[in-house]
Amino acid sequence: MPKKQRREISPESLLPLAPATFQILLTLVGDERHGYAIMKEVTARTDGAVKLGPGTLYGALKRLLEAGLVEQGSERADPELGDDRRRYYRLTRFGLRVARLEARRLDAMVRAARQKKLIGVATA
Amino acid sequence: MSAERVYRLLLRAYPRTFRAKYGEEMMLLFRDEYRRRNARALAFWGSIVDDLARSAPSMWVEVFSSRIKDFTRVFEVVMKLAGILAVLLGIYGVVGALGDAVVGMRIGPSGAYVVAVSLGIIAALLLLTAGAAVLWSSASGRNTATIALAASVLMVLIARLLHPWMGTVALIVGIVSPIVLLAAVQWPHRRQSTA
Repeated sequence: MPKKQRREISPESLLPLAPATFQILLTLVGDERHGYAIMKEVTARTDGAVKLGPGTLYGALKRLLEAGLVEQGSERADPELGDDRRRYYRLTRFGLRVARLEARRLDAMVRAARQKKLIGVATA
Repeated sequence: MSAERVYRLLLRAYPRTFRAKYGEEMMLLFRDEYRRRNARALAFWGSIVDDLARSAPSMWVEVFSSRIKDFTRVFEVVMKLAGILAVLLGIYGVVGALGDAVVGMRIGPSGAYVVAVSLGIIAALLLLTAGAAVLWSSASGRNTATIALAASVLMVLIARLLHPWMGTVALIVGIVSPIVLLAAVQWPHRRQSTA
């Protein structure tokens, strides 16, 4: 998608994000990752509740690239996984804004749930 | 058949453009996961098929919706050109009908001839209006164009009945072009969303 068109989209209009999409953005905060590293981190963080197969992961990455939330980084081998060259992905500034807004939205929801004593109270 | 070959075959369920860009990365991810987990387990292949069934249809939906958007863009360009053509034909029709009126004045016009020429001028003005409405490219513009084109054809047909002579060019300008434009205006198309 051209950069000019990207700027016209407000980050708020992209919310709420799908759980898998938010997990991918969360993984990319602070560092670039290749596909397999994203998949492993999401599985570990969610205790397997969010499963990203190859199709789901690259389908989501394709949409994130087109929306300008993610960009391609370098292409290099991961020494832990062998000699194959891997494409790395990283967050754009716009992607970071969207992730931050989604995190705030979720935080507000959790606070509301806590206020209503849905969570944070010991159950009998 | 090796597991990688099986997965490469399964990848064919995705659109070619998607495969071309992400196919090799997906293969690599499959290989990594295949090595880490017990690939012979049914659960592993179950998760692979489940992933394919969830993601491939949505990829195809994206491909088709992007093709529809491309078609809509082409259609809009064609409509703009048709609008310009209608305006030019309308101007040509008005000038032609005025020329006929001048000739008719010289040789002493009959009542039917005057009515036929007047209807010709109105029809050409309607064609011009329809062209301008198409160029306006709004929903109301489309409706205006439809009414103007239908009225234009009707005027020309009445003029043809009152004054039977009609050349090939006049026939194309007066009857064929409004009908073609009418079909184009009524062609079902989706307006492109800005989202």
